[in-house]
Amino acid sequence: MSNFTKEMINNYADKLLIGLTSEEEEMIQSEFDQIEKNMNLINEIPDISKVEPLSFPFEVTLTDLRSDEDASEEIPIDILLQNCDSYEGREVEVPKVVG
Amino acid sequence: MENINKNISELHDLLVNKKVTSEELIKESIAKCHEIQEKTNSFVMILDDAKPTDVTDSLLSGIPYGMKDNFSTKGIVTTGSSNSLKDYVPFFDATVIKKLKEAGAVGVTKTVLDEFGMGCTGTTGHTGIVHNPWSYKRSASGSSSGSAASVACGVYPFALGSDTGDSIRKPAAYTGIVGYKPTYGMVSRYGLFPYASSLDTVGCLTRSVEDAAIVVDAIKGIDENDMTSWDSSDIKLKENLDGEVKGKKLFYIKEICDISNYANPSDELKEHLDNFKKTVELCKSLGMGVEEVNVDKTLLNALPPTYVVVSYAEATSNMSNLTGISFGPRGEGDNVMDMIKDHRTKGFSPLIKRRFVIGSYVLQSENQEKYFLNAKRVRRLIVNKMNELFNKYDALILPVGSGPAKYLDENMNIYNGENNVLEEHLQIGNYGGYPSITIPNGFVSKLPVGVNITGKVKDDINVLNIAYALESKMDYKNQLAREVE
Repeated sequence: MSNFTKEMINNYADKLLIGLTSEEEEMIQSEFDQIEKNMNLINEIPDISKVEPLSFPFEVTLTDLRSDEDASEEIPIDILLQNCDSYEGREVEVPKVVG
Repeated sequence: MENINKNISELHDLLVNKKVTSEELIKESIAKCHEIQEKTNSFVMILDDAKPTDVTDSLLSGIPYGMKDNFSTKGIVTTGSSNSLKDYVPFFDATVIKKLKEAGAVGVTKTVLDEFGMGCTGTTGHTGIVHNPWSYKRSASGSSSGSAASVACGVYPFALGSDTGDSIRKPAAYTGIVGYKPTYGMVSRYGLFPYASSLDTVGCLTRSVEDAAIVVDAIKGIDENDMTSWDSSDIKLKENLDGEVKGKKLFYIKEICDISNYANPSDELKEHLDNFKKTVELCKSLGMGVEEVNVDKTLLNALPPTYVVVSYAEATSNMSNLTGISFGPRGEGDNVMDMIKDHRTKGFSPLIKRRFVIGSYVLQSENQEKYFLNAKRVRRLIVNKMNELFNKYDALILPVGSGPAKYLDENMNIYNGENNVLEEHLQIGNYGGYPSITIPNGFVSKLPVGVNITGKVKDDINVLNIAYALESKMDYKNQLAREVE
């Protein structure tokens, strides 16, 4: 019996706005216990909670600040809209959001 | 006479001496790409209308190459090998594409990857499975699958790759070529579709160490569009390839290389590790010292899950811009959220959905400390341990994977529950941002296998030199794939 119900798995997916087919639910459910077991190898390291987390490989120091006068290149809206399936004029079209 | 399978310096000489034109090289390259496409499926697209360039002092001028399809190319469809971006046309060039254009190189293909770089089998791209040119029954590994397979076939001397865990270096080993991941930030990531930003590194696949040096010399450099890039103008890779390695000190990790650590080892694994020992002996014959080092097994066993947690968590964030609203195929639904969910549900393949679900799980508030933060703590311990060893040694040398390329079968993407450090140790290079290169070092079951050299941050010259010296004493430089089964 898995520690992870299909409802739990769907909830994790739904938080990322992803839907799962029944085959995908089953695949993930059948593997999740083992995946979690392996993830717990992280917690077998003694006193791990006392270590400072490392987010990047090494410190990257930015030494140059961009001047306020430097104008950045503007991309024409018609070019940006070329990959958009639904737009009107200069605006992306979506269903009404505010009632 | 075939020219396109030559290395960069040879092609440059031919071009400068007018023995061949850029147009002829491009034509030859494209014809050969079409030839190998049916059997290898290396390409999302072959750019039949690629235009020749002027031959200049730049070693890359006039020479065709392959572009992994997760680099933005202005005006040319760039898919990330995903249905969610199957028709996406970028409005700008990635910095590396721009730099290669400036160097006169000509992109002639968009190569297949595992969807958004999130895979290691070459089986999850939306245009189908990439087959290994040494044996079409086997995987080319991934995620830079099409780049590796096409370079191994000799359709051009180099292709771009990206590497988050081993995505350049493992496909290189399985296809018998060279895969170089430079130090993190040496090459700009601007315009690369991100997978896990703290690990993603741009690099190349070639058939010689010298070619790898030439390509990265051309694409590296600080970029105002990538805050993690740094000034490497004092690092000249090709210029410093001299093969002088006498007195260098290398180490390998006993817990990874010793056959006694493996229960019921396969014949291929035994052969692979024996072959690695031969490479170690070759290092010694070149005047390098090689020592066996012990690393705590608990720490080593935490290598693969650390990758799972860190990279999958970062991926969930990086992929949140894929909504189908302002770009990508529009999903169906009565409201914006339903439309986005429909786009993502239909656009992502089952295997990256699995990664997203795990990423979502480790980022739940109740799991963040236990998994996400602890994985980042393990990352520090691994990097601290490696930095300590790199203070004593010039480089780490290890075998790549547990043998040659694996057979393509329907179960290869099923999670088998193994926690195999030998298969995953190249992730060390991404945790610490270390320069890391794979070169071919022999054959197991008639198929190529590779050895990897990893060194300290910004010490790319040293890492390349060790690889260059080894390559010069082995028979696999400029090796081309030939069908063996």
